[in-house]
Amino acid sequence: MQMNRAGITEKLKEILVSASDDTETAEKCGEETKLQTELGLSSVDMLYMVIAIEETFDIRFDDVTVTSFETFGDVVTYIENKLK
Amino acid sequence: MDNVMITNREIWRKFNSPEEFDRLVYFDSVGEMWMKCVKEYADKTAIEDNGNKYTYKDLEEHASHLRPLFGEGKRVALLCPNSYDFVKAYLAIVTSGSTAVILPPQLPPEAVYGCCMKLGADTLAYHPALSEKLAVIKAAAPAFPLVDITAATEDKKEAVSSKPGDPCVVMFTGGTTGRSKGALLSHRAVIEGTVNGCYGVGHVFGQRYLLILPLSHVFGLIRNLMTCLYTGSAMFICRNNKDMFRDIAVFRPTIMVMVPALAEMALTLSRKFGRNMLGDDLKYIICGAAAVSPYLIEEYPKMGISLLAGYGLTESANLVSGNPNSKDKPESVGLPYPDQQLRIVDGELWLKGGNMMDGYVGDEAENKAAYEDGWFKTGDLARIDEDGYLYITGRSKEIIVLSNGENVSPAEVEAHFNTPAFIADTQVFEDVLPNGSHILALEAVPRATELKGIEGDVKEYITKELEKINATLPPYQRVSRIEIRDTDFERTPSMKIVRYHKCK
Repeated sequence: MQMNRAGITEKLKEILVSASDDTETAEKCGEETKLQTELGLSSVDMLYMVIAIEETFDIRFDDVTVTSFETFGDVVTYIENKLK
Repeated sequence: MDNVMITNREIWRKFNSPEEFDRLVYFDSVGEMWMKCVKEYADKTAIEDNGNKYTYKDLEEHASHLRPLFGEGKRVALLCPNSYDFVKAYLAIVTSGSTAVILPPQLPPEAVYGCCMKLGADTLAYHPALSEKLAVIKAAAPAFPLVDITAATEDKKEAVSSKPGDPCVVMFTGGTTGRSKGALLSHRAVIEGTVNGCYGVGHVFGQRYLLILPLSHVFGLIRNLMTCLYTGSAMFICRNNKDMFRDIAVFRPTIMVMVPALAEMALTLSRKFGRNMLGDDLKYIICGAAAVSPYLIEEYPKMGISLLAGYGLTESANLVSGNPNSKDKPESVGLPYPDQQLRIVDGELWLKGGNMMDGYVGDEAENKAAYEDGWFKTGDLARIDEDGYLYITGRSKEIIVLSNGENVSPAEVEAHFNTPAFIADTQVFEDVLPNGSHILALEAVPRATELKGIEGDVKEYITKELEKINATLPPYQRVSRIEIRDTDFERTPSMKIVRYHKCK
């Protein structure tokens, strides 16, 4: 799948809006936004995010723990590298 | 004694297929049950894990080589992640006449040592993947026997049949006081819990289960693993929850046992991707370990899946009641399973029965607090309706006593506010205002997917709707402040809300 960083960012925002069940999440998402402390994602939300990313981008996460991602930008970078 | 409800097995007959109901027999011990399963289901698949399939005969063969390591009448601590090795070691311990003390794999090394000492373990059986957890016990008790459960032995030993009252497992629980302790379950209790898992499920024999719950929790160990083996079913072990939907596509489970938070996640994902992520073969979700919202009970049947809610405790070998009739009674945790007695004393549910534990191991103070006249005091507030259905209305320790002396159970009030589909969860709590007066307050987490058509200020809309509900409540239950949250509440590892204690 060919997608630039901006495209990945938009898709990831959509996923996080449905993961957090909060329509305002999209506005809060910036490169440095912290997933757990600022977006308030729970462990189940993080699991949702990982599964939805795999499904949307057709990639597979390595067996990293979800806590490896601190910020929104970390996740975008991870997806970007996987798509290369 | 008055107001005691004695349960009756026959009320369950109409909810199971007639042939299957008559197959629900009780064994004296897990050993006796297991040998019957090996004989009857020998060549059927029992477990699928990590790319391998193991039949009932394979599992017995592998367990028989482990039994000589454990001896009889011993207490064997088991530290192992969810895997075929866990199933093999657990079965070997409890069918060799010893007791399995199941340690959660996430325990830190100090707690592994502390639990082995406090719970009087004779041996620690461990999986090498967790060998770093042994550092403290090796340093503090160098002579303590450690057994690697993946090491093969030449010797073999047959399963033994214990007596119903003999100890079978010790399971960890936060219990009614929140302090971690070990509940001792006899063979009778484990067998009753295992058979209870069959009631109310139309077709329960020869099913396919996908395991996502920890086997160190009663819901995973008894309702998932034990009921699966008892019914000659197969269990696929999902090693990583992020892979559950891939595993589902391969294994095509017919029954899944899960907590409500995961059931809600699967529902949201199915909607997002426009297909049933749980697979077309899934017929039942057994849902519990936290309050199940009526929203899930109503939505899942639209996908052809029955979501059966229940109520249980570690101390009751997992299962006290299950709801075979969620459609008509969506707020109930169902009918109590056989061989139990229930009493409601000052609103609190008290229990007796063959499924109940024999107490907390080595914890006299906890035992003293937990029992009265032989009844186990659950700490849960409950009521039973005219048809015998049980409802859990809150926790007795969470009761808020208002300044006018009225008692309010937050869960009972929250149940009203949780009714609209656009509400995901709520919390009712007591707050203190700057002027010192105490009020009842509400915080609500909306479910955005149910609010798509709303125009204008969404929070204002939700608040107005909740105010309408508030007005229907008895005055002492009405909240004085409603706040709509942007994020979920803080949750415990089992996804229960961490409650506010602003006035304590």
